[in-house]
Amino acid sequence: MAQAIVTPLTQALAEGKLSREELKEFMQRSDAPALRRLALWALMLAATTTLITLAWDSWLIWPAMFVQGVVLVHHFSLQHECVHYTVFRTRWLNELVGQVCGYTILLPHRFFRYEHCDHHTYTQLHGEDPELIPLPKTFGQYALYLSALPYWRNKFTEVFRHARGHLSEAELKFIPKEEHPAVFRDARLMLGFYGLVITVMALTGWWGLVWYWFIPLILGEPVMRFIRMTEHVGRPTVAQMSDNTRTSLVSAPWRFLCWNMNYHGEHHYVASVPFHALPRLHEVLKEHIHVEEGGYLGAHREIWRQIHANTRRGA
Amino acid sequence: MAREKTWQGVIAVADLEAAWVTRVTFGPRNLAIYDTPSGIYVSLALCNHGGADLCDGYFDGHVIECPLHQGAFDVRDGKAVAAPATRQMKVFEARVEDGMVQIMV
Repeated sequence: MAQAIVTPLTQALAEGKLSREELKEFMQRSDAPALRRLALWALMLAATTTLITLAWDSWLIWPAMFVQGVVLVHHFSLQHECVHYTVFRTRWLNELVGQVCGYTILLPHRFFRYEHCDHHTYTQLHGEDPELIPLPKTFGQYALYLSALPYWRNKFTEVFRHARGHLSEAELKFIPKEEHPAVFRDARLMLGFYGLVITVMALTGWWGLVWYWFIPLILGEPVMRFIRMTEHVGRPTVAQMSDNTRTSLVSAPWRFLCWNMNYHGEHHYVASVPFHALPRLHEVLKEHIHVEEGGYLGAHREIWRQIHANTRRGA
Repeated sequence: MAREKTWQGVIAVADLEAAWVTRVTFGPRNLAIYDTPSGIYVSLALCNHGGADLCDGYFDGHVIECPLHQGAFDVRDGKAVAAPATRQMKVFEARVEDGMVQIMV
């Protein structure tokens, strides 16, 4: 008889960490929590956009653009939730909002979905997890990663490669053949969209979106790199979910921005649970996952310790 | 010569999880039995994308979602309705007779 593969969820159920009734309750979807949060999201974006406008003729435009950038890069968190179809009960809304987020941050939604599937299947396994961020060997490598320069180089290379109709060896493993044309089309549409935006700005002579969108995105991305590192970097590169993933307890504003994805261990245990139920799932699973009480900074302190120890060993 | 297909009972309707999906082992097969607003439907229990058990997934109306990658299928005809699921899943002709869910195998 064909057997189901062992997943963190099947393990949690088999080991009694989570009951079937609890699972059913946590998985329930609803449109309302996300619509309420999106309304606040729009207000927040309006506020940060206003800050840039008010600071237009002064040096204060730079911190204002940074704040806008921190919000913009968190569209990744929302897009990530949409990849899992857990933001809205209405399935097409997940697709629509995910696409909008992807266009905001240069991340084609379909490609991200397939890449992210293998991240969940092979979390933290070298050569198999396409999203694995290696533990930096030196503080120089750590700083380079946080600069987001390698990230942007990879993103642009990736999108242009797909637009040319090519996939890397790694991508061929996780994108089904029947979806290759769609992935190529998505990349061309996205580049076409950015090309159109730039062309319209050139024709009208109004370059405002560079200041409201492009520069903030570049200024904000290091913050997202800082946060993405806290999810798995420095945790053991093993298949065991209770070891390879880190939940970071952070304050309410950060939880709002990241759509509760700081509860990363819980998310990897049960990816079908929507963002609004993750804090409750945390209460059930917190004894079985790695929890960093010190938040994002606590996670980075642990990463610094490991880099420091490795550097001393190598010296 | 191939055996002629017949109706065979797999589980009592009373034992199904209401408005949800129930796992049943039937001979060599793991089955997922769905209690939907328009009746009972049956499919193989394993997702044809990643091999996870659909019976641990989220079920809503007529759509079952895989717990591992959230690919989804319409349980009435097995059609994939959400990526990363792309292939139709195996469904069985099903009916309820004398309080038992039966499938044609």
